[in-house]
Amino acid sequence: MNRLGTVIGFTFLNKVRAKSFVITTVILALLVSIGLNVPYFIEKFTGEDSESVAKIGLVYGNQPEIAESLKVYTDKQSNNKYSFVEYQVADEAVLKQDIKDKKIDGYLDFSQDTNGAFPEVSFTSNKESMDVSLQTSLQAALQSVKTQYITKGSLTAEQVAEINMPVQIATFKALPDAASGENGESASGSKSIAIINYVIVYVLIFLFFFSNMMTGNMIAAEVTAEKSSRVMEILITSVSPLTQMFGKIVGMFLIGILQIAIFAAVVVVNVSLPHNAPLLADFDLDLSQINLQVVILGFIFYILGYFLYATLFAAIGSLVSRTEDLGQAIMPITMLSLATFYIGIFSLSAPNSMLLKVCTYIPFISPVSMLVRIGLGEIATWEIALSLAILVISIVLFGWLSAKIYRTGVLLYGKRPSFKELRKAMKAYKI
Amino acid sequence: MANALLLEKVVKQFGDKTAVNEISLQVEKGEIYGLLGANGAGKTTTMRMVLGLIYPDSGRIMYHGKPYGKELQHLIGYLPEERGLYPKVKVSDQIKYLARLRGMSTSDADKSLRYWLDRFEVPEYYDKKIEELSKGNQQKMGFVAAVVHKPDILILDEAFSGLDPVNVELLKATVLELRDAGTSILFSTHRMEHVEELCRNITILDRSKTVLQGNLREIKKRYPREEVILHTTGEVTGLEQLEGVKKVERQERGYRISISDVAAAKAILRKAMEESDVEHFEIKEPTLNQIFIKEVGESNE
Repeated sequence: MNRLGTVIGFTFLNKVRAKSFVITTVILALLVSIGLNVPYFIEKFTGEDSESVAKIGLVYGNQPEIAESLKVYTDKQSNNKYSFVEYQVADEAVLKQDIKDKKIDGYLDFSQDTNGAFPEVSFTSNKESMDVSLQTSLQAALQSVKTQYITKGSLTAEQVAEINMPVQIATFKALPDAASGENGESASGSKSIAIINYVIVYVLIFLFFFSNMMTGNMIAAEVTAEKSSRVMEILITSVSPLTQMFGKIVGMFLIGILQIAIFAAVVVVNVSLPHNAPLLADFDLDLSQINLQVVILGFIFYILGYFLYATLFAAIGSLVSRTEDLGQAIMPITMLSLATFYIGIFSLSAPNSMLLKVCTYIPFISPVSMLVRIGLGEIATWEIALSLAILVISIVLFGWLSAKIYRTGVLLYGKRPSFKELRKAMKAYKI
Repeated sequence: MANALLLEKVVKQFGDKTAVNEISLQVEKGEIYGLLGANGAGKTTTMRMVLGLIYPDSGRIMYHGKPYGKELQHLIGYLPEERGLYPKVKVSDQIKYLARLRGMSTSDADKSLRYWLDRFEVPEYYDKKIEELSKGNQQKMGFVAAVVHKPDILILDEAFSGLDPVNVELLKATVLELRDAGTSILFSTHRMEHVEELCRNITILDRSKTVLQGNLREIKKRYPREEVILHTTGEVTGLEQLEGVKKVERQERGYRISISDVAAAKAILRKAMEESDVEHFEIKEPTLNQIFIKEVGESNE
């Protein structure tokens, strides 16, 4: 036990003191900060942009009636996106000259009359595409004008407005009656899943994937480095491979936690900066709605999942003699965790699918799929317990297997052994 | 008292290949035991079994009369052939780490490390990284790592390879010092002159089998003395005609004479004294090198 502590301490301190670790962490923290502030900056820049009102030439030429009603409609709406400059005739030369002279930003033109149908609308400017927000508001205005044009006054203004109103779908989550009794959420009447829970699950999956990959790769790289520098031979004579392996895994785990804690702190600090507060509200995120159960269970599954993957990473690291060969050897686990990641991400919108239900009982995939189901779907307590049990059992199993591989692998040099060679070596070493 | 280290008919097979075939040896307290053999003869496998890294298929290995156990890890020091330390970690950090793994307290480890660095006259390496040191110095640090926890049984695999003569002497003196302090040392090398200087008993392995074993002096006695070195002031003629003389080689300061019988040496000396003044007369015992080549080399190369 004492020696396990020594190994953990050595692994942890060495990594934390390494320049590469410090630099990576700082860079990632900076990226996270920048990323979190991007919405603010975007708003700032586009906000300035939208203040300058686009001047649009409105050509009356072919369709004076429609043009007029568009102008009337626009005047009624208090919009600050655009204003119209009227042109009675479509004289391209004049219009283009005006665009060039910056009198207008572009002009709207209507095609010839087409038997009562709404004419085609064209927008000409010196840009390749139309500004998105401008396009949206113009489209809305034209839609309204179109309705007026088609109905030709047979509907009242309210009816027209009603037609133009998009249909809203409210989403609710149907909870079983038994659950709704004990569940505090349903008592408050709100059965919809808070968006913050999506965000939390998403973030947890992301964290799981990245910290798993990062620490896992570090473990494998460390083991291989120890092997290729032959420190391993001294190490295994001083401390049992099992202690060594788990010391390394726990040490790296602490590093992963430290890194997550740093990022979490960075996120919290950035989000709570005053200029980000309205943005948070814009996205309809309310931190008080965080489902604590998700976070706690997520953390438990994260730890267990980590240990499952980490033992495999250590075992594979022990099989490789040179660091150059490591990437290739690790490929299968990388694929596995990528698959896990994508199953999680794509199931966010279908948390109760059969695929996900099955996945919650498959050890390597279960941490992520459990996260999705607990956070977004519905799941019985026994299902959680069963999944946890399977996970724990497989950790013990794979831990045992990895320890065996590790014990054998660290003494095998040369090319990466095949399974057959490995089994032979295990037998030969009596492990 | 039980031997510090005892191997009894130890056999190790890898698949259908026998790596070590019935090796038996014992190392006393305060003894340096030489394990010799060509490459691939089974030295490293034997050492790994002694270290408890791999288990023998049959036979037994006893340490102070007891079988291998976890607590032995504290008593054994090991300098592997391809010595390794963490290249990017400070000398002090990693050697203290290794010492603590072997059951030392941090302060004891620190004291011991400083002692050894002073002993090798390189106290400034304390704060250096291994990759900053030259190869020979890295090796010295490897040696320090092997002895820092004051082991009872020390296993040195090719301890002196790649060192300059000054450092070889320094390390040799250290090894002898450890021996005098009561450390039992199992020592493997290709360099016969080191064995002759250091070891009392030796085992020569050849392709997994023990070909020669025993006290170094007795082994040498078993091999006929076949060479006489003679330094005289004047010339000695007619040595070739003496009975038992095979070949006479004129050298800078005298003669090197191959003989088939030790009795011939007397005749040579008598003749030399008759004809000239004898400055130096020696019946050379065979070097271990010659014995080794005789036992191993011919069949191997």
